[in-house]
Amino acid sequence: MARYLIGRLGLMLLTMACASFLVFAVCEFTPGSVARKSLGPFATQQQVQLLMEKLKANDPLMVRYGRWLGVLLGLIPDPLQDPGTGLNFTDWRGKQYFGNFGYSTLNKLPVNDIIWERLGNTALLGGIAFLLIIPFSILFGVLSGLKEGGGLDRSLSVICITFTSIPEFASGVFLVTLFVILWPLLPGTSPLNTDAGWSLPSQLVLPVAVLVVYDFGYVARMIRVSMIGVMEKPYIRTALLKGMSTRQVVLGHALRNAMIAPFTVLLLQINFLISGVVVTELVFAYPGFGRLILEASLFGDVATIEAATLITVAIAVTTQFIGDLGYVLLDPRVRIS
Amino acid sequence: MEDRPHPYVRTLIEQVNEGTISRRDFLRKATLLGVSAATAYSLVGMVEPSRTAKAQTVPKGGNLRIGMRCMEIKDPHLADFAEKSNVIRQVCEYLTFTDRHNITHPYLLEKWEVSDDLKTWTLHVRKDVKWHSGRQLNADDVVWNLKRVCDPAIGSSMLGLFTGYLVEEYETGEKDDKGNPKKSSRLWSDKAIEKVDDSTVRLNASTPQIAVAEHLFHYPMFILDPQQNGSFGPAANGTGPFELVEYTVGKSAKYKARTDYWGDGPHLATFEFVDLGDSPGAGIAAMASKQVDGLSEADAVQINSMKAFPHVAVYKVETTQTIVARMHPEVEQFKDKRVRQAMRHAIDRDKIIQTVLLGAGTPAEDHHVAPSHPEYAALPKYGRDVEKAKKLLADAGYPNGFEYDMVTRPDPIWELNTAQAVAEQFKDIGVKVNIKSLPSAQYWEVWTEAPFSLTAWGHRPLAIMTLGLAYRSNAAWNESHYNNPEFDRLLTQAEGILDPKERSKVMAKIEAIMQDDGPIVQPFWRVFSTVMDKKVKGFELHPSQYIFAHQYGVEA
Repeated sequence: MARYLIGRLGLMLLTMACASFLVFAVCEFTPGSVARKSLGPFATQQQVQLLMEKLKANDPLMVRYGRWLGVLLGLIPDPLQDPGTGLNFTDWRGKQYFGNFGYSTLNKLPVNDIIWERLGNTALLGGIAFLLIIPFSILFGVLSGLKEGGGLDRSLSVICITFTSIPEFASGVFLVTLFVILWPLLPGTSPLNTDAGWSLPSQLVLPVAVLVVYDFGYVARMIRVSMIGVMEKPYIRTALLKGMSTRQVVLGHALRNAMIAPFTVLLLQINFLISGVVVTELVFAYPGFGRLILEASLFGDVATIEAATLITVAIAVTTQFIGDLGYVLLDPRVRIS
Repeated sequence: MEDRPHPYVRTLIEQVNEGTISRRDFLRKATLLGVSAATAYSLVGMVEPSRTAKAQTVPKGGNLRIGMRCMEIKDPHLADFAEKSNVIRQVCEYLTFTDRHNITHPYLLEKWEVSDDLKTWTLHVRKDVKWHSGRQLNADDVVWNLKRVCDPAIGSSMLGLFTGYLVEEYETGEKDDKGNPKKSSRLWSDKAIEKVDDSTVRLNASTPQIAVAEHLFHYPMFILDPQQNGSFGPAANGTGPFELVEYTVGKSAKYKARTDYWGDGPHLATFEFVDLGDSPGAGIAAMASKQVDGLSEADAVQINSMKAFPHVAVYKVETTQTIVARMHPEVEQFKDKRVRQAMRHAIDRDKIIQTVLLGAGTPAEDHHVAPSHPEYAALPKYGRDVEKAKKLLADAGYPNGFEYDMVTRPDPIWELNTAQAVAEQFKDIGVKVNIKSLPSAQYWEVWTEAPFSLTAWGHRPLAIMTLGLAYRSNAAWNESHYNNPEFDRLLTQAEGILDPKERSKVMAKIEAIMQDDGPIVQPFWRVFSTVMDKKVKGFELHPSQYIFAHQYGVEA
């Protein structure tokens, strides 16, 4: 087990190193210098040059990557915090510490000051959505997979496919029109403050609804296919012939086996719910992680993109690990050694 | 000042009485020369729209929330968006104030005086203005701020505006990678910005400049506390009506009213900006559920969906905000001026205004001088003429037209929509335009270098400000690479003429050059609009999208 864990951890670090370098390299090829973006369109070329020098953005790619890595690991102090640069950049955590994601050129703040709150907001949104997606998708998937081609299967399939096919921005606008403008029951945006008199739970209803509507149908379809496969197995027929009720067969024999394949799909939804919810966040002005990544990417804010990449890689590897543990529980034939 | 008015004021009064200039022209000119707005209005027998009368009707107390992007702000002198300046504007102030009628008033200044040659500007700082910390505003503060923006290492866009009369470019003696001499900027003289006494500052310009008072209201030109060395945040010390309590990038800015503010207001107890992101739908949704009481800007499409809400009032103001399709004259296809003329004859301005702005605009005339600019000279108008355009193209050697890439950006959406509308109309004369839409940040990287691009230009109270920034040879923002010595000569001449009659004669020549030889196709001037809840009182829409929260109140 310990060897397995160490192997996993090593793999995660390797993935992170590759991903972070790739991000650096890709940012290199996007047009537009960070200094120009910071100073805006009306700065003179000379002002841009001066800022490029201050940000040390003229150094070769490998030098900048090495420096970024050194700052992250706490091996060297962040050179941008040097008062001599005139950037006015300070981090209350200090110049040199492990996990220093550096200076966000977009927000002119330490990345650590912004990214965690945004991640927390998105985790809240995604977490609630995930908790609703699981029961809905299992219920719909199992019910329609019980009897392939039956009336129930057909009607549930129509619902699932329709919902999954509606893009988030469309369902968002549709729900806002219904519940904000026609029947003013819910707030139209979710800035996550209660100043305007709308409670926090009320602000989460519509964004969560959009995510659940978009995502549960897809997972339900996966579960349905797996369920159909299981229901054709001889041991199910035996159980039915034995005179067990459908309910007993499903809960006792089919469900656990039908969940093995969709389990991965479900866990993959966590990754989607952390970094892929940008559309929902935009529609509802939700201060989340996806919007931060989008803005940072458009701006070329390497420090923020790198931090976001490392966090999403860590989440992806962790969910994969949980997935492996889950297989052990679901399928006794699988062993971790 | 009123004891020794600028000698030209008397001529202006005579011209009003003769009816050769309008009263609006008089007000603008006289205030530029340092006459107070109240005096200027009374000189021509008008009553100044009184601020005190308005103040009585504005309710006291309460909180107001306005939806607007809350972007990073590290240094107010680097503000490069109206939104950023709005966040700072409630805390820090300007020396002057240009109102929605394009008339500039003294603000942190009591008054200013101009020498007859328009080179020496004496600024008298108000003595009743106190910083939030309790210290009195003085001339040293003003000098520090004016000098700071002229330092190239700071990175303020004021540098570009001051270049030519307070700031000069010089060669450092070093060479860059390509072997071209490196240039830098410095004050043209040690005396360019000079303290006279504790409440007087003098600007000694190298060339005559009439727009100084307007420049002092340009949005990065905040007067900051020198002790804070250009930083901004919840602890920022300003002279303004509010103190910033909390600021979270991408989320909100919260303010508390000052009780010891030197000017009128503030009427509100607290004020707030709420970041609604880039999605136009979020603004509508937030207004619908009353999560904000207004928006800093609402485009025609948003207005259309919100005007049915019973609690929403729509505000509109004509601006000199515009967009130009500009061509680099050194490029093969655009070298012949007949090609550029053909492009101007190819477009149907009314149709573009209807499709792109849903009618919220007025036709422009390809010379970047708006009818609301004081120096505007009316020239014969021309409409769309496809046959004439085709003939011009054929004469220039392109009987079958040509194909070219036009660079633009996707947001705000009206810019991209304009690109599509003009591209469709260019197609009719045989010019196939491929739209290259770049994200804003990348667009601003290439905006002066792309040979053919569509660029939005902000509202400016004087046309000579824009013409000097955008079309003078080698000007910092000369994105169209226009280089015409005759144009430069006339523009310099116009900048030194005070008489509006005389000046509009020169302006007519400048406008004609732009229409005949110039680098731009200019479809429209934009009408700027927004929405506020009907309970918001005292709100006036400023053409530059500026928010002055201390003038507003909310009904309980």
